[in-house]
This record gives sequence, C-alpha cells and structure tokens, in this order.
Amino acid sequence: MVGDAISHAVLPGIVIAFLWSGSRDSVTMLIGAGILGILTTFLIEFFTNKGKLQSDASIGVTFTWLFALGVILISAFTGQVDLDQECVLYGEIAYVPLDTIVLASGLDIGPSAIYLLGTVFILVIAFIILGFNQLKITTFDPQYAISLGISATLWNYLLMSFVSFTTVASFESVGAILVVAFLIAPAATAYLLTQDLKKMIILSCIIGILSAIGGHFLALSINGSIAGAMASVAGVLFGIAFVYVRITSRKVAKITSAEPINA
Amino acid sequence: MIQQVENPIIEVHDLSVSYEKKPVLWDVDLSLPSGKLIGIIGPNGAGKSTLLKSIMGLLPLSSGYINILDKPLKEVRDKISYVPQRESVDWDFPTSVFDVVMMGRYGQLGLLKRPKKADKEIVMDSLSKVGMEAFKDRQISQLSGGQQQRVFLARALAQQAEIYFMDEPFAGVDAATEKAIVELLRQMSAEKKTVIVVHHDLQSVARYFDWIILLNMRLVASGPIENAFTPELLQETYGGKLTLLTEISELIQKNRFPNRE
Repeated sequence: MVGDAISHAVLPGIVIAFLWSGSRDSVTMLIGAGILGILTTFLIEFFTNKGKLQSDASIGVTFTWLFALGVILISAFTGQVDLDQECVLYGEIAYVPLDTIVLASGLDIGPSAIYLLGTVFILVIAFIILGFNQLKITTFDPQYAISLGISATLWNYLLMSFVSFTTVASFESVGAILVVAFLIAPAATAYLLTQDLKKMIILSCIIGILSAIGGHFLALSINGSIAGAMASVAGVLFGIAFVYVRITSRKVAKITSAEPINA
Repeated sequence: MIQQVENPIIEVHDLSVSYEKKPVLWDVDLSLPSGKLIGIIGPNGAGKSTLLKSIMGLLPLSSGYINILDKPLKEVRDKISYVPQRESVDWDFPTSVFDVVMMGRYGQLGLLKRPKKADKEIVMDSLSKVGMEAFKDRQISQLSGGQQQRVFLARALAQQAEIYFMDEPFAGVDAATEKAIVELLRQMSAEKKTVIVVHHDLQSVARYFDWIILLNMRLVASGPIENAFTPELLQETYGGKLTLLTEISELIQKNRFPNRE
C-alpha cells in the first residue's frame, strides 16, 4: 500500500518542481516527485515507529494530507500551471508514443518514456540482483538482520526510494491508477501461484506483461480506456489464479483426508 | 544477590532502558561467566526480552554500556548469534527452510556474494543438529510451531558464534521439540559456548540452567543456580503475586537439589 500512498503523495512535489523550474521537463519533475516520495516513506515510518500508529493509519494520514496539499497548490496557481489533476491521476497511456525525442539532426529516436522507464528498469534490476539477500533478510526478519550487522533501516529506505522513483517515473506516462494496479495485482497473483521468492518475482513480471498486452487488445476491441482495460485484465488474471488455487488445494485436502483410511 | 565474575564474557554496566519515558530496565549491573547456560527469569513485563535486545544492540539505551568479550558490540558481532521470538516474523513469507537457515551465513557474505559450498555444508549440518534435514525444501508456511523454533535455532547455529541469545525458545513448542532444544543447549554448553535464554517456566529452571538472572525491572539476582534460585529471591522477583508464590515454594522444594543428567 506504500506504493499507493507514494503515487498520490508526490503530487505536491511535482507542482513545486514545476513552479520552481517553470518547465514541464520530466527530469525536474522526477526529482521533485522523488524527493516527496522519500519524504512520504520517511513520514510513514516515523509515524509508525515513533508515534505508535498502526501502519495503515500512518499511510492514510500521510498521503491524503500530502495529496490535498498538491491539489491546493494546483488550484491556487491554476492560471500559471499547465497541469491538471485528471491527467496526473489517470494519465493517458495513448499519448506516450506521441511524446517523442527528436535529436538536433531531426532524427526521431522514439518516445521519451522508453528512455526514462528503460533507465529505471535497469536500475531496479541491478538493485534487486545486488541486494537480493539483504532485501530478503531485512523484509523477513529485520531484528535478526540488525543482529548480523545488516542495517534494516538503510535497506528499507533504499527499497522505498526505489518504489518511489519507479512509481513517479511510471505514472508520468501511465497515471497513478495503472501504477498502483501493476504494483500490486501481478505480485499478488504470483504470490498465490508460487512460494519461492525468485520464481515469484519472475512470475509477477510475466503476469504484468500479459496484463499489459491483453489490456491493450481489449481496449482496441471495445474502443475503451487503455489504462482501465489493462488494470481489468490484471484483476481478471488474479481472479483466475485465485479460483485455480482454491480448486487445486481442495483436491490436495481430499487426498490427505483419505489417507488414514488407506493406512 | 548479585555475583560479579572475573573476566566476564558479557559485562552490563549501569544499564537503563525506557520506552516512551517509562523505564523498563533500571540500573542493571551484571557480569556473566563464559561457557555457561544462563537463564533470564522474571514475571511478564519484567524486561527480560528488553535486556536481551539491549545487549544485542537492538534498542537505544537510556544510560550505561555493554561490553562483550571486553569489546563494544560492533567489534564482536560475528561472535554472537540471536534467536528472536518465533512470533516476531511472518511465517507466510515465500521462502524455504534451507533459505532461512542460510540467512545465518549472510553476516559473512557481502553484496553480490553467493553462498559457497562450505556455507551450504554448514547449513545442512545445522539442520541435522536440530533434526530438520528432511524438511530442508519445505516452505516455512507449512511448519508447526516446534519446527519453526528448530529452524530458528538452526539459523543461529549456522552463524557458528561464541555466544547465543535466545528469546523464549520454549514458548509454544511441543514436548519433543523442548527435549531436543534442551539437549542441543547442553551440547553447546559442553562445547564451551555461552548460551543466554529468556525463560518463562519456573518448573524447569533448576533443571536447565547453570546460572540465572532474576529480573523485575531492577536486577534482583545474578548468580549460580544454587545460590540464586531461592524462595526469598523469587519472592522478591515475583513480588505480591501470591498465587504464584505458593507455587514457587512448592517448586523449590521439588527442585532444590536437582539431578542433572
């Protein structure tokens, strides 16, 4: 749910970055949003650990407050700011191919989102490969990790910073709702299907890709919202996995309950 | 009755710890001998786990300091090992028994380093010591309480440390696991390892430990079992809890001069 919170809470960061630099250059906005993303994580952790609030309460308080601040900033400076909440929240993935990078020579090298998200993709993969053991142990048993001399706080903030940057970079092109859907649904589906962390990561990537491709064709065929169709396909895949796991686990239960009779 | 020792393996000096300005441990000053099985005993909320966590550096100290092997914690981290309370982790985490025990080797592994063959052998050896080698590929979500505790013990063993800290290893485990754990503790003690255990059950104290720490916010006693496990000191530790007190005096009669097998 931290991803959900971050995707909303970075709004004031985007607005402030825009007001400060006066441009809608994506790198400036990414920095503004990234800083707010880390601040959000920090506030959530702070309220949970020091304020003894439940984690869902601290998430709720932090992101609604920051998001509201962002909305006020947009409405107060609405004359000067060419940003609208609708676009930030829902994004429009169909416009991504139109926003291309054209080199000085006039050569069109493709949509800017590919370069931005491609960079984020490589960084995230490098982070997961380099820190796999540390991420795993600090998530599973933070106190034990500390007793080994691995800083649970450091790795938690690193992880949350990466969630924050990924969220910010993605929703600039696809909108917050699709980001939240894809942060959670493919991973939840994979969690139902396997109990091995490595397989789970790979499987959730495959499910994410399938949802995106499936959603694209669904949107084409019904001429509807692309983001909506992709999130729906992700939800349907989760539903199929859920039903599949329920049916197969019932079979297993039947076999075990029959065993004592045979023996 | 607080007995200080020469050349202590652990020295706790004037330790106070508080949560939100409310003191949990107050002016605890003790030293512990090496190679002993040490029990930390006291009523609920006495600060037993807090003492353990403070020694392990998991909590901020309000005052005092702790030396392990005459050095601050940071310099001797690789010599100590920790078994947290079983409930402190999410057992639905997607991983296997083998992987959890391998975490015991992570302290020695750096970034990007993969476990070597030697690490795997240590992990298997630790699993066999707790009788769990047959479960190495089992998902941790499919373990019973006793098996979970054995996995945690195996993980601590895989660290190959000198000093072991265990937080209520006997809580909610079956009789077979309790017996297996006690045997393991004795074996470790025979290998001159120091084991410090937060313990709850007064019935078994005299049978399990060589040295006890009686704690109720303040340190009541720290000494060899024959000197520290007395009705007067237990009364002082458990204070006005009358129903408990009668039980305690009965227990002491039974366990006064325990046979150690």
